[in-house]
Amino acid sequence: MSLVVIDGLSFALPLFIIAVGGIYSERSGVTNLALEGLLGFGAFTGGLFVVLTSGIFPQGSQTPICLSFLFAAIGGGAYSLIHATLCVKFRANQVMSGIAVNILAVALTGFFTYQVNAGVFGSPSDKFMIGVSPRVTAPGISDIPVLGAFFTNVYPFEIMILAIAAFCWYVLYRTRYGIRLRACGDNPQAVDAAGISVAKARFGAVAISGALSGVGGMCFAYSITANFSPAIYLGAGYLAIAALIFGNWKMIPALGACLIFGFARSAAYQVAKSLEISSNVSDLAMSLPYVLTLLLLAFFSKGNRAPRALGEIYDKGKR
Amino acid sequence: MKGRAVLKSLSVPAIAILLSLAAFAAIVLLTGKNPAVAFIGILEGSGWLPRSGYPLGSGQLTDVFRTLDALTPMMFASLAVAVAFRGGLFNIGVSGQMLFAGFVSTVTIGYSGLPSSAAFPLVIFVGASSGALAGGLIGLLKCRFNVNEVVSSIMLNFIFQYVISFFINTSYIDPVSRHSAAVGKDVCLTLTDVFIGGYIFRIPWALAIALACAVLTLVFFTKSVRGFEMAAVGKNTRAARYAGMSVERNILVTMFLSGAFAGLAGVTYYLGYYDSIMPGTLSPMGFDAIATASLGNMHPIGIIAAGVLVTSLGQGSTYMSNIAGVRPEIASLVIGLILLFSACSYYIKYRLEGGAALRVGKKARGGKMAMNTAAAENEALEDGRSGKEAGKT
Repeated sequence: MSLVVIDGLSFALPLFIIAVGGIYSERSGVTNLALEGLLGFGAFTGGLFVVLTSGIFPQGSQTPICLSFLFAAIGGGAYSLIHATLCVKFRANQVMSGIAVNILAVALTGFFTYQVNAGVFGSPSDKFMIGVSPRVTAPGISDIPVLGAFFTNVYPFEIMILAIAAFCWYVLYRTRYGIRLRACGDNPQAVDAAGISVAKARFGAVAISGALSGVGGMCFAYSITANFSPAIYLGAGYLAIAALIFGNWKMIPALGACLIFGFARSAAYQVAKSLEISSNVSDLAMSLPYVLTLLLLAFFSKGNRAPRALGEIYDKGKR
Repeated sequence: MKGRAVLKSLSVPAIAILLSLAAFAAIVLLTGKNPAVAFIGILEGSGWLPRSGYPLGSGQLTDVFRTLDALTPMMFASLAVAVAFRGGLFNIGVSGQMLFAGFVSTVTIGYSGLPSSAAFPLVIFVGASSGALAGGLIGLLKCRFNVNEVVSSIMLNFIFQYVISFFINTSYIDPVSRHSAAVGKDVCLTLTDVFIGGYIFRIPWALAIALACAVLTLVFFTKSVRGFEMAAVGKNTRAARYAGMSVERNILVTMFLSGAFAGLAGVTYYLGYYDSIMPGTLSPMGFDAIATASLGNMHPIGIIAAGVLVTSLGQGSTYMSNIAGVRPEIASLVIGLILLFSACSYYIKYRLEGGAALRVGKKARGGKMAMNTAAAENEALEDGRSGKEAGKT
């Protein structure tokens, strides 16, 4: 039972931070199917930093882990500028641009991982081995039955994610910047009339989504896959999109959706494991979160309201 | 006048291809290899140029037919994307629908041991109808339950991938290859091991169906009432509803048709190009098809040309990697770039003919407005074909 909570949280929270990025982008009016590529590229730059500096930091130091998240955010943010440029400046179809960014991310990171491994380390492989992040357990609280599981074997990045998410919530709903950003997704003409650049706001929003996705990707690289490899593209970006749509483009419901995902996934795993049925059944169990999402979406989408200008290219001359 | 319009519509894909190839050359140069060798390697590997030597029993034509074999499912998959796009929907679940149709046909017909004469039409029928069901489900979810088609098709991709993997692993696995057990040669839509003049060939006869489907799709969209309605819903839902068209029914028909093409792609892929299914993976073809379809301007005839190009890139990459020492991933890099640049079609068009419009715009309302002016002119010129963005409200 506690394993369900522990594994569920360590999957749900990175998913959540990616979804938060998606919310920023989509609330500003830019459809972001590129999350999958952004998280992969972020994890790639973070992983690249770790392997390149592996000799510099002393053994067991936490500095490279912290810095790798920074680099993942920078990498994801920088890479997302392709999506931003295409969608905002070049007036591209946003869905298409997102898919192009995804295809490119898989190809680029695979290609460069191989080149770096062959060129720097002389061992051609498609992986950066970066290991698993250490876990922490809060003394005292973790002994409480059931609830204690939420404080047991927690990855430090989960706490970081909650902090970042709280900050993102504040910025989006309580600051001038946030209200302008949201207005860009609902009524960009009004924002423009108020003398604020829609293009700049959307650029910023997409870059934030890139940075947050990069952080999320790095979390996966440090937990589930324990390396950077093509395995990082496990579809979390698409799941995050489903979560944010299910959450009606709002942060708190999106967190709920991510938790449902995470717990459904880990529960399915544990059930398959405890019944000691053949590994084949785990495939069936793995499909559970997706079936659940589809059903939930079918039941609760009636009242869903996307940002009004989502996916639309801002056209000053339009009435 | 008509010739000029065709030329104009070709300019964007041409520029997208040129830019992608330039980026390809730059990356190959960066890794210290010769881009010309890599480029020729792709052409040789996909059969468009003769190689220096061939293994016994195969020749250049063998390679050409191998490329055509891969082109067949790609054509169907791109048609699936294009049909949905014309109807205002985005089918990124083509891979999942392919897998579903491929699996259903493999299980029902593939292992039945029927003779070719009975099996071929059945495979085509079962593939198309099961694909249509999968696509129709997405359409139903969209118009009944307001589920965004992009999200539901992504979810269905995962569900098909895992559930089918489960069934293959439990019931249909070939313990040696770790794939599903191979379907019989009589069922395979690609005729394998055909010897003509001492050379060995694979003959993808379903390519003829794919080409016919492309032409039929074009006729359907330009000449039929239903096709017109679907395109009208795709361009402007509100206007279509106001004109008395049933938006829901058109969405359903669009996804049904798109799914049927995806299903045909699935059977020509899993019971043609391959003869088995690898459990737990989706074919990347459904995503490459988006690049192909957008490079082909979502036009059925444009798709044929774009399909040849994208398929050749994929087919030639292994040989290119052997002779030029460049990683084969670079092929999907180029495909990604092609999609990236053809997604910019609006901007490229504006750049190409923006000169005059830009000056007018500057005089009238200042530089920033110019793009809108040029865009407005574009739309007027192109009988509203590029008016998708404007009509999406």
